[in-house]
Amino acid sequence: MLIGRDILDQQVVDRAGRLMGKVDGVVLGPPEGEDARIAGIVIGGTTLLWRIHRGLARWAERKLGGEGRATFVPWAKVTKIGIDIKVDVDAPRTRAFHWENWVRDHLIGRIPGA
Amino acid sequence: MSKLFEIALGVITGIGGFLEAGSLTTAAQAGAAFGYQLIWAIAVGTVCIAFLVEMAGRLAAVSRHALPDAMRERFGIRFFLLPLAAVALVSFLVLASEIGGVTLALEFATGISHRWWAIPTALSIWLLLWKGTFGMVEKGTSMLGLVTLAFVVAALTLHPHPAEVARGLVPRGPTHDAARYWFTAVSIVGASVSPYLFYFYSAGAVEDQWDEGYLTINRITAGVGMTFGGAVAVAALVCAALVLHPQGIQVDRFEQIPFLLTSPLARAGFWLFVGALFIACFGAALEIALQLAYLVAQGFGWRWGENLQPREAARFALVYTVVIPLAALVILSGIDPLKLTVISMALTALSLPVTVVPLLILMNDPQYLNEHTNGWVSNVAVLAVSAIACLVALVALPLEILGS
Amino acid sequence: MTPPSGVRLERLLGRLVRDHLGVSVGRIEDVVAEPAGDAYRVTHVLVGPDGRLAQLFAAGYQLPTLRALGLGRKPRIRRLPWSWLELSDPDRPRLRAEVA
Repeated sequence: MLIGRDILDQQVVDRAGRLMGKVDGVVLGPPEGEDARIAGIVIGGTTLLWRIHRGLARWAERKLGGEGRATFVPWAKVTKIGIDIKVDVDAPRTRAFHWENWVRDHLIGRIPGA
Repeated sequence: MSKLFEIALGVITGIGGFLEAGSLTTAAQAGAAFGYQLIWAIAVGTVCIAFLVEMAGRLAAVSRHALPDAMRERFGIRFFLLPLAAVALVSFLVLASEIGGVTLALEFATGISHRWWAIPTALSIWLLLWKGTFGMVEKGTSMLGLVTLAFVVAALTLHPHPAEVARGLVPRGPTHDAARYWFTAVSIVGASVSPYLFYFYSAGAVEDQWDEGYLTINRITAGVGMTFGGAVAVAALVCAALVLHPQGIQVDRFEQIPFLLTSPLARAGFWLFVGALFIACFGAALEIALQLAYLVAQGFGWRWGENLQPREAARFALVYTVVIPLAALVILSGIDPLKLTVISMALTALSLPVTVVPLLILMNDPQYLNEHTNGWVSNVAVLAVSAIACLVALVALPLEILGS
Repeated sequence: MTPPSGVRLERLLGRLVRDHLGVSVGRIEDVVAEPAGDAYRVTHVLVGPDGRLAQLFAAGYQLPTLRALGLGRKPRIRRLPWSWLELSDPDRPRLRAEVA
């Protein structure tokens, strides 16, 4: 299995079939040597910025004091790798849904008929 | 029986959905300035979009991915951002053109300046997306879009010589005004091969949950639907060729376009024109706004779906909620809708390699298409048209801008 | 859950790998992992061409039409054991000295 081709940038689906985001990052840990394993996947936060423009990512993390609202899903919670990456998690309860919920509560939800 | 119904629906969508602000304007300008000489450009554009639409459908049916989704996965975020930006920008300009087309139809109908209609139009488009379902948008647009067949009726009543029309299918160089000729040719191709067409088709295939059983339907829908749609555009060109060309009237003001139908069909023609323009542009605007929302939401993995309530796919709804008023602002600002349309079409042609090559790479990747990867004909046809259109646009666009 | 410390694969992709003498070996194309029980063990790293021209030809290789026109060349990808990589500075991956 190639991690970049088969895991990175794939769609993540939660245990209820909800779309949770894309795999923006993959953590390898411990990173070196014979014991290197996939520790888990990262969704959201500043993760994406690192592949777009590293300077921008560094600046953003300085401003936010961290990785923003990045959500880490440990590899043990990944249940299936195929068309999507299925994870045994409740998406609305994670920070991956923070912006979705915010937009719903403060913008879209305020418009009648939503 | 159900599959036959699906095919019929798909073909009707192709016919009803083909003509919009861009294809109508460019066909009218071509017919008025060059008679039948540019029919081949419509044919080339139609063949190209038929291939692209078929590909987008095949990708969705086999890989179960919509196009932006597959593009992000295959190319990673960095190489996804370039086509994303190109498609988004070009689609936005075309959206503004379509809103412009709707406002013009309303100006023709009421006499009230089109700029006043920008906001009510935007509101209506938004409301339909807010409250409607995907089926409504898709089927409503295609059914009502059949009113554009008025151009076919009008063209027939003008008694064109079939042999002369057929000669226009042969690609040839200009007999006069070369810069304008090639610019118009390239705009026609840009109007026919608008990215929103195959992106929206791909989103539709996923919304309708197509699987490998749909491959034949897809091929027939794309081929037959687009061909008939292209025929409607040719009909519009023929109208312009027989009504405006003999009088030496060039289409450089939008007030001239209704003549295409009023000359052959008199009073009925005027109202048919208003209706056709309104419906065609309104339908296209709905599709483009939706397509932009799919593009962003699917690229970033957000919840999406026109059948969902807006609060269930909030960021998805936010995209079209923001994009529609912004596009309306462009019309409100007073930019000439005709010029905007024509420039957007040329820019579309210019950006074709960037918007089309990612799809081509996907279509040749067995990881996504299994054994249904592209044959050499699709590859060569689409690649050739995109490359040539881009090169011609590169030369013709600056010339046109400098010329006017 | 906040992401734990560890090397980020997405930041490794595309980075230039040098050997212990500082000579460029190529750019990281992808990373191979194999299932080991419940986990996935990282076993190899794929290193591809460094030069921009080679990358352009690799891109062209993906389209059969361009391949037929001679505008695409299959990139030479080397499959190196993951343990050969030294990642004390993830921005500058190096090959361990013993490997040479």
